[in-house]
Amino acid sequence: MKRLIAIGLTISLAGCSAPLSYLDATSPVGGSIASLGWGLTAISVGVCLIVGVLLLVAIWRGSPRGAATVVPVNDRAPIRWIGVGVAISTVFLLGSAIWTLVTVHSIAGSPRPAALSIDVIGQEWWWAVKYRSDDPSREFTTANQLVIPVDVPVQINLTSRDVIHSFWVPKLGGKMDMIPSRTNVTWLEADKIGDYRGQCSEFCGLQHANMAFNVRVMSQADFDAWRNQQLQPAASVAGDPRLRTFMVRCAACHTVRGTPAGGILGPDLSHFGSRETLAAGLLPNTPENLARWINNTQTIKPGAKMPELHMLASETADVTGYLEDLK
Amino acid sequence: MNSGTSGFLLAAILLAPLSAPALAQSAQATSTTQSSYSGATADFAGAGQAGEWTSQARDYANTRYSPLDQITPTNVGRLKLAWTFSDGTQYGHEGAPLVVGDTMYLVTPFPNTAYALDLSKPSPSIKWKFEADPSPQSIGKACCDAVIRGWAYADGKLIYNMLDDHTVAVDANTGKQVWRTEMDKVSHGVTMTQSAFVADGKVFVGNSGGEMGVNGWLAALDLGTGKELWRAHAVGPDSDVRIDATFKPFYDWMKGKDLGVKTWPPNAWNTGAGASWGFVSYDEKTKTIFYGTSNPGPRVPVQRPGDNLWTSSMFARDPDTGMAKWGYQFTPHDQWDYDGVNEAVLLDMPIEGKMRQTLVHFDRNTYAYTIDRNTGEVLVAGNFAYQNWSTGFDMKTGRPIVDPAREPKPGVKIDKVCPPDIGQKDWEPPAFSPATGLLYVGVFNICMSLTDHEVSYIAGTPYDGMEMQRFSVDGSDGNWGGLLAWDPAHGKKIWEIPEKFMVMSGVITTASNLVFYGTTDGWFRAVDAWTGKVLWSQKLGSGIIGQPITYMGPDQRQYVAVAAGVGGAAMVQQARDGFLPRGNTLYVFSINGDTITAPNEDTPSAVSPSEASSSPSQQ
Amino acid sequence: MSIIRVAVGAVILVILAVGVTAWWVTTRAQTDARVAVAWPEGVAAAVPQGLSAGEAPPITVSIDNPLANDPNAAEEGKKLFSQMNCAGCHGYDAKGGMGPDLTDIEWRYGGRPIDIFKSIYEGRAQGMPAWGNALPTAPIWQLVAYIQSLGGTFAPSAEGQPQQAVNQGLGAQAGQKQ
Repeated sequence: MKRLIAIGLTISLAGCSAPLSYLDATSPVGGSIASLGWGLTAISVGVCLIVGVLLLVAIWRGSPRGAATVVPVNDRAPIRWIGVGVAISTVFLLGSAIWTLVTVHSIAGSPRPAALSIDVIGQEWWWAVKYRSDDPSREFTTANQLVIPVDVPVQINLTSRDVIHSFWVPKLGGKMDMIPSRTNVTWLEADKIGDYRGQCSEFCGLQHANMAFNVRVMSQADFDAWRNQQLQPAASVAGDPRLRTFMVRCAACHTVRGTPAGGILGPDLSHFGSRETLAAGLLPNTPENLARWINNTQTIKPGAKMPELHMLASETADVTGYLEDLK
Repeated sequence: MNSGTSGFLLAAILLAPLSAPALAQSAQATSTTQSSYSGATADFAGAGQAGEWTSQARDYANTRYSPLDQITPTNVGRLKLAWTFSDGTQYGHEGAPLVVGDTMYLVTPFPNTAYALDLSKPSPSIKWKFEADPSPQSIGKACCDAVIRGWAYADGKLIYNMLDDHTVAVDANTGKQVWRTEMDKVSHGVTMTQSAFVADGKVFVGNSGGEMGVNGWLAALDLGTGKELWRAHAVGPDSDVRIDATFKPFYDWMKGKDLGVKTWPPNAWNTGAGASWGFVSYDEKTKTIFYGTSNPGPRVPVQRPGDNLWTSSMFARDPDTGMAKWGYQFTPHDQWDYDGVNEAVLLDMPIEGKMRQTLVHFDRNTYAYTIDRNTGEVLVAGNFAYQNWSTGFDMKTGRPIVDPAREPKPGVKIDKVCPPDIGQKDWEPPAFSPATGLLYVGVFNICMSLTDHEVSYIAGTPYDGMEMQRFSVDGSDGNWGGLLAWDPAHGKKIWEIPEKFMVMSGVITTASNLVFYGTTDGWFRAVDAWTGKVLWSQKLGSGIIGQPITYMGPDQRQYVAVAAGVGGAAMVQQARDGFLPRGNTLYVFSINGDTITAPNEDTPSAVSPSEASSSPSQQ
Repeated sequence: MSIIRVAVGAVILVILAVGVTAWWVTTRAQTDARVAVAWPEGVAAAVPQGLSAGEAPPITVSIDNPLANDPNAAEEGKKLFSQMNCAGCHGYDAKGGMGPDLTDIEWRYGGRPIDIFKSIYEGRAQGMPAWGNALPTAPIWQLVAYIQSLGGTFAPSAEGQPQQAVNQGLGAQAGQKQ
């Protein structure tokens, strides 16, 4: 018994440190979901234990020896046992149901009005992220990352360009499907500054498992500075030969604001150098990984919409250098 | 009865017949002294001699009114073909030939060859030919056919834009190039189809490319050297748009700094279009030029939230410096490709009892605007044809009220948006009659089904995204166009001639109260300016999208000329029964088809073989 | 206690034990594997040296569309047709506009799959952009597959007869209308 408990605790603690663990939530939404999760688990384990113990006792005791088992009509004892069991189950089930419904209702919308609205558009197998604003000159697009201020409810508008995906940041909020031709609205609010991982949680094809993103939570001041930086056009030197290579090989599918590259087929690469990961959370954003990604796309993420480019070494160096300099 | 009374009666009886002609006269006098509907008048400054046609719009105010009256409603029924000229090209013919003295000047669509025709000889007689040699790459960047919308004559030079972004000036006497200026790059998706406009010693030219994500502009070149004096963009910071403290728009939502940046997502203005491919007007007294800007880019509105200034707008600018005096945006955040490039006709008219100096503009969005041309205030805004994209016009704010059901979302088909992208009136210019006070304008009667697709910007490819089918407002058997007479002071249609096909030709009016126009299925018509009665029709070899002119030939005959060569946006009708193939012929008409014939000494006579072999012409 | 009761009790315990063990094992394995994929520090680069060193290899393309038997190719090509702005010039129905009709049998520069590939790859004089640097060969063949599915292209054979004509047993030489 003690060993069982020890095993259980070790497992759950290990889960706490993993990036996708929803049990260790750092947001009001995540918190209420985690509490509900723990609570339902506790009730279920309790019920299992009680039933298991009663079953074992019943098996151990067995029926009286030798006697023909004729149950008197007015023997209430077994019925009472059943009645008590049903009553306890009903109470616990009703309680769980009410708790679940209350939790679901409380996480459906933020109690305070959202301070920020972000569109997230899922496509195979990456995330387009558009920051909205009443002022059109403060709207911009990025990809595969969300940056949000701490302690502020953020409204997320979800849709999909192809199949159904699902948006899930386990530590910060619940799952919400992203359905083509439809906009679903969810919200996030983070209690602590840090990095959190998000994952697609609706099977969407070959690379569903590698469709992730990261959420970076910053202080309000840092977020404002980040947003203003994102609004700046690309800091390109006029006549940069690396930009020329990028325009020729990459611009048909990718956008870099402030240059004539305006492709919307692939992720927006404006300020790519400031991103944590590439290929939708698959690889950390380093020059080596970027070069590997460009040259081996179909080996790293088979089926990805980005084709094998067969670029020359000089072209790879140009594009990698140019992108990593886009801070 | 006494003698006084009987004398009086006798006198009355004797004098009665004398009054009959007087009565009859006054009956006639009713039609000839019928008063102008609008009371509008125009300044015809900038026109050449009465018998000439020296610029596309005939004068700076863009009235397209000719003072000639040799051809009248009585004899127009005898109009017959005098001569024709085929220029050998295959694209739409939109420009009006110019007549200066005894010479006619015209420029073909791609490859933009210029011809000077000697009208004093049996026509056509080519005086000189100039081959501009534009790059064929530009053909694939021209959204709406490889056309040229007109050309200009000034200072002894023929000046026009080439499709591949050059402006060229050719000596009108010798046909030799005087100067050529490169204005932009085809690789950016830019072409030039606009009619160059000359006023105040300068050449005003603008680019095309509203569907190619270009950066739209209008520039002024020095008439003598072709050197660029200034360039005003339609998008970008105030320094690019040439706006400073002297800029006084009438409405509050156009006041502010750098609105050409702020009403766009970051950097989106770089590919925001606002190309200036329409006609320019000029007010000599206030020294102001007026012109419009195209739709915003991309044509899919969800990719560019904001009002998208200064697209779908009109500017009034100082011709010397290019600085803007006022601006007005017809369709804020345009969602259907309603360009604002249509011409401004400068008229003075009484509005609500007060005399106003106005311009009249038939916009692609189907509102006919009468705007105070000194301040940019909208005085009248009325629908000149059917539309369903807007539920009304707010005169206080100067903004149209958009119907949310007509706002496109990517991937969702809207079954009926009227008008379609090309409007109920595209670039085809109207004409003004000072007698009737009306404007005569060719219009369409069509709608579109629309599905938007989000698009990438790839330089040199379309930045577009509108998938459309066009059809008549009145169903599968409905008419697609008409000619209408419009009272600009009251915002009212007086009459309309329905046509089976779109009317996409220019219109001209004459002093004898005739209106000439052509349909896109080849009918060239003369109608009575007062009643709209069709007095004469002639079917030509191709649809007409050109601008007619009327001129006095060296033989003192009045001629009417128009090019028949369908193309441009009229091609949306190419699947319809009765649509004619492409053509490239200029048709010139006169009464009875009379024209200059060859003198007898120029006509060859047959000779015997022996005479022929000894004649020097055999070598 | 009867043997049956012992047996039933034992079976229940075994099921429980197996379940717990299985769960333990699976979650351990998942955590380890996920770490390896997401943060592959120390994993040697798998770039074949031949492609990134020296010049680009010359592209050898066959006369026929190598994706001819790929049922997906035309579907992907149709998406590219819209996404690369081909539809902007050639129409969303490919029936022409600024650029020529791609559904008929008139081809200025040849109507065999390889001819269409070259027109897309090299660009053409009247404004067709050159896509060879922006698109690798696979997407270009997908576009060709889409255009072939529209019915106006020619057979890949040397004579290059229109595909429809070949199928019907009729003959018309390459580039000529029937």
